[in-house]
Amino acid sequence: MSDLSSMDRRRFLTVLGVTGGGAAVLSGCSTEQVEKLVPYLVQSEDQVPGIPTWYASTCTDCPAGCGLHVKTREGRAIKLEGNPEHPVNAGKLCAHGQSSLQELYNPARLRGPMRRQGGGFTAITWDEAIALLAEKLNEHRGRVAAISGAGRGTFSDLLADWVGAAGGSVVRYRPFDFEPIRAASRLVFGVDEVPLYDFAAAKYIVSFGADFLENWLSPVEHQRGFAASHGYHDGAMAKHVMFAPRMSLTGMNADEWLPLRPGTEAVVALAMANVILSERALAPNDANQLRGPLARYTPEVAHRESGITAETIIRVAREFASAQPGLAVAGGIAAQHRGAVEVAAAVHLLNYVAGNVGRTVRFGAEPDTGDGYGALLGLVRAMEQGQVGLLLVHEANPVYSVPQRSGLAAALAKVPFKVSTALVLDETAAQCDLLLPGRHPLERWDDLRPRRGVVGLMQPVMEPVFGTVATGDVLLRAAARAGGALARFTAPSYEAHLRSQWAALARSQGAQDADAFWRAALARGGVYSAVPATPVRLAPTAVQVGYAAPALAGPEGAETFVLLASPSVMGDGRFANRPWLLELSDPVTKITWHPWVEVHPEVAARLDLREGEIVRLTSPHGTVELPAYLYPGIHPEVVSVPLGFGHTSYGDYASGRGVNVLDLLDARDGKGFLPYLSTRVTLAKTGGWKQLAKTEGNPRQLGRGIADALTLDQARKGLTPALAREAEGHPEHEVNTESEVEAIQGFHERQVEKRTKGDYAAEHPRWGMAIDLAKCTGCSACVTACYAENNIPWVGESEVLRGREMTWMRIERYWEGGEDGEPLEARFVPMLCQHCDAAPCEPVCPVFAAYHTVDGLNGQVYNRCVGTRYCANNCPYKVRYFNWFAYDRRAFVEPFNLQLNPDVTVRARGVMEKCTFCIQRIRAAQHQARLEDRPLRDGEFTTACAQACPSDAIVFGNVTDPESRVSKLKQNHRGYHVFEDLNVRPAVTYLAKVRHRSEA
Amino acid sequence: MRKRALLGAGVLVLGLAGVLAAGRRTAARQAAPADSLTAPSLARGDTARLLGPRQPIFFRHDIHAGQFKIPCQYCHYSVAIASEPGIPSVETCMGCHLVISGSDSGGKAEIRKLRQYWAERDSVGKPRLAWVRVHSLARHAHFPHQRHIKVMGPNACQSCHGDVVRMPQVRLVNRVNAMGFCVTCHLDRKVNRDCSACHY
Repeated sequence: MSDLSSMDRRRFLTVLGVTGGGAAVLSGCSTEQVEKLVPYLVQSEDQVPGIPTWYASTCTDCPAGCGLHVKTREGRAIKLEGNPEHPVNAGKLCAHGQSSLQELYNPARLRGPMRRQGGGFTAITWDEAIALLAEKLNEHRGRVAAISGAGRGTFSDLLADWVGAAGGSVVRYRPFDFEPIRAASRLVFGVDEVPLYDFAAAKYIVSFGADFLENWLSPVEHQRGFAASHGYHDGAMAKHVMFAPRMSLTGMNADEWLPLRPGTEAVVALAMANVILSERALAPNDANQLRGPLARYTPEVAHRESGITAETIIRVAREFASAQPGLAVAGGIAAQHRGAVEVAAAVHLLNYVAGNVGRTVRFGAEPDTGDGYGALLGLVRAMEQGQVGLLLVHEANPVYSVPQRSGLAAALAKVPFKVSTALVLDETAAQCDLLLPGRHPLERWDDLRPRRGVVGLMQPVMEPVFGTVATGDVLLRAAARAGGALARFTAPSYEAHLRSQWAALARSQGAQDADAFWRAALARGGVYSAVPATPVRLAPTAVQVGYAAPALAGPEGAETFVLLASPSVMGDGRFANRPWLLELSDPVTKITWHPWVEVHPEVAARLDLREGEIVRLTSPHGTVELPAYLYPGIHPEVVSVPLGFGHTSYGDYASGRGVNVLDLLDARDGKGFLPYLSTRVTLAKTGGWKQLAKTEGNPRQLGRGIADALTLDQARKGLTPALAREAEGHPEHEVNTESEVEAIQGFHERQVEKRTKGDYAAEHPRWGMAIDLAKCTGCSACVTACYAENNIPWVGESEVLRGREMTWMRIERYWEGGEDGEPLEARFVPMLCQHCDAAPCEPVCPVFAAYHTVDGLNGQVYNRCVGTRYCANNCPYKVRYFNWFAYDRRAFVEPFNLQLNPDVTVRARGVMEKCTFCIQRIRAAQHQARLEDRPLRDGEFTTACAQACPSDAIVFGNVTDPESRVSKLKQNHRGYHVFEDLNVRPAVTYLAKVRHRSEA
Repeated sequence: MRKRALLGAGVLVLGLAGVLAAGRRTAARQAAPADSLTAPSLARGDTARLLGPRQPIFFRHDIHAGQFKIPCQYCHYSVAIASEPGIPSVETCMGCHLVISGSDSGGKAEIRKLRQYWAERDSVGKPRLAWVRVHSLARHAHFPHQRHIKVMGPNACQSCHGDVVRMPQVRLVNRVNAMGFCVTCHLDRKVNRDCSACHY
């Protein structure tokens, strides 16, 4: 609303007018220019300035289809949270989902339709664009095709009908598909679907490469379940074992990570099934037919192939079988080699013989998985042969996300007319002839059926950011114009079409009043119902399941390595233009903004590689150069490169950031899926070096006790972390002399006494937090939630290199073991301002900008701060961040600024900032309680990080209320404070992680 | 539905106020005491001397809130429930001014401007009614209007905004953007003086 154009003479005079005309007014805080207040012409009934309006919607960033609650203020979406009523995510949301707002407000978004003219694109009107589309439809009738990344729903149905009427078919393609699991289900059980996995019910989880906490199927749902079963409570917790050549985030959360040779997961799973089948009678009777085929796969054979010892395989198999029910999962993009169907099939068998199918592995919900890579390659062949005249690309970027070797780019060139509905000019859109930028899901009507029993709705929560038109409307308008077989699409708008579909849905669900059904669904975010599991039996083909050594292209020999293309924070590349995610440090390597290649330290020593040295990776299909990251959590025969980087056209944030590892891959079809693990590479030093933009300090704790852990035994005995160390023969280090202890005691007494004086005398809540490290998986959803809530600017790679990232909340990752035969273990600690009672930052501030509030917060008054940075120097937790260069102006360029939370000050240059415990949420809740003349209720609000956490590891509340959740958690014997011996008395209590290791 | 109700209610309130005020006006003309709530009739030349910025429509709080005693919250609808007081929409104005066209030529001219904004509400490139902001708080301070109305009552506006009911043109009376103004009152009333009550 404010007019920010530069000040000229007239404007200056107006300022004088506004302020009543007087020199006195120009002193103090009167630097603002004239602000204009533009009232509504007609007030929207659900918008009250100063009060957020919430809309229910559905996330489309991955096939899981989580439910959203969209917070809007003054007509702008400013924050995404999970929909608590939604069966998939139950109120939680991952970092990818949170950052969907940065797709909505991305400055690279196309402003309107364009057509190719000469070498570039020219803006046209929507009427012209639709006329052109209709004309081309008629010209190429019968030779139309579409590639769509849209999930199952009314839009996809309409698109299929529409393309069908125009004479052609649609390939629904998402790069991360789960085709191997579907193929395995056909083979083993004769059902054509991916099952749902119930992690919450599992007491023993074995993963064969499946990164179920990251990019696999339904990460938020899995993580909720994983936290419920694997989080320690009442002396019990599930155990998680992961067989994978690389320790991904999921592997870092495993109690045992067992590095096997790449591509040998199937033989280990078969050997486990063999052990269980021969030792125990768990399996349904029809499993007996497997005895013969499985007999070949003894633990010794598996050992020879995979490198995992036979004893380990037998032990894990016995533990798995005795924990009822267990859950084994297979798949994952990084492990998707040509034998991926066999891996998934072997794990289906393993689950079957252990009696898990129907309990933790349930068929019947038919989660949406798209058509798969094979279908896409079929279309590529058709395009090569000139059978496609008009291609429509919707929510897909195959030119980027499919290896060059597939020939897709060349095939596209043979299509006379290509149309893209991409929001941003991505690599595929750049090759198209007509750009019809669609609307973001938060700007349009739509629905999504991610699985049976879940129909999620999307509604426009705000006016479109740019002059774009929803693709559903484009289809209908073009159909009306083209006529012919397309004339049967008569709905006046896509919204009307959707409503008519929903009226039919209401009838099918037996609702009397379709309007009431619709309104209720809109309020709840969709319609949800329980779907019973369909029982499955072994199919006759199940006995065919076997193992074959993986076929890998490329040179064999001593210094060749299997290339893992690992999914990272960038996903399949679609998230690479979202600065929140680019600045979010990778959970494994803590690297931001650029890709890297992970090399085992032993290999690095052999090749004389140091961290950051640029390495040339050569496969039979291409060459890329990347800086090396030495990673002990990887099999020595393997190197790993993150997927999703190296865009050439996807907005300024994505373009030119490193390389696309897909350039190294073989693109041949691996039975309906893209084999991401298919090539060997050679490594060569280039002589170059690059400093990695890492956000970590020291990767080891060095005995500082930051991320404490107990063994399961110690936890069951109710030991505190300190007592556990003492029991292990490492008593607390006595840092203070007797007189010092006395002095500290006196200091504390004085502190407590002070707390009863002046403003501090009154009854106030004291805010505190408890973080359960047994539940935290390091997924970093909290970090992105914090960025979104608190207007935190991203600083970019060059500033991260100087250690100037502004992450108010960060995930610290420490390595344990990994030396002298000790297994490597990762520990995560979410680190934020500890709001210490005796905060070291407060007494050193010369201007009282850092001070203690009456309700126990460590306050930071931005307008007082003069930027001495003494407080940051004195903070033992390194949680204070200095705004060096007006990062807000660099980051929040139009229209990113529309996302800013109006309740939080946007910090200017020269100001120290840090976690406030979401004080704006505290104050808002207090205002509301005061209006209603009632005290605050525990749990009526929480911080952004605690709200987002899919594991529910973070609990926030009033610690003076003995009944609050946080007070109870603070009493837990696992509780400890980081750097307790500094006597700063933090308000954040960490609950030690519990390690579930076998003594073998 | 609600819109129509608003319009109706607006007409009703204004009608009543008008009847009341009309009766009083005759009395006021005879006596004209110094602090009468009768808004003065202003000649064109008089307005130039008024303090405060000239607004796109010469909206007179002294007529609406003073003489006609329309409650502040009739227009500033969210002040008791939200941190923002709410600037009335043009529709709210039209609730009354559909039927009230003004009594003198100056007033008639201003109401015609308002009706023009309303008439062009659906046109492409419609003019924006851009009021000049008088009370503007620094971005690093948060002022929850609803808390203050809750404690000090619905007519507490003047404590900060001055005697708006007597202002033909709103001007800045108190330096609301200077922290001393807030703190003085908070000290007098012995209420929260914590920095983080407002600064976050």
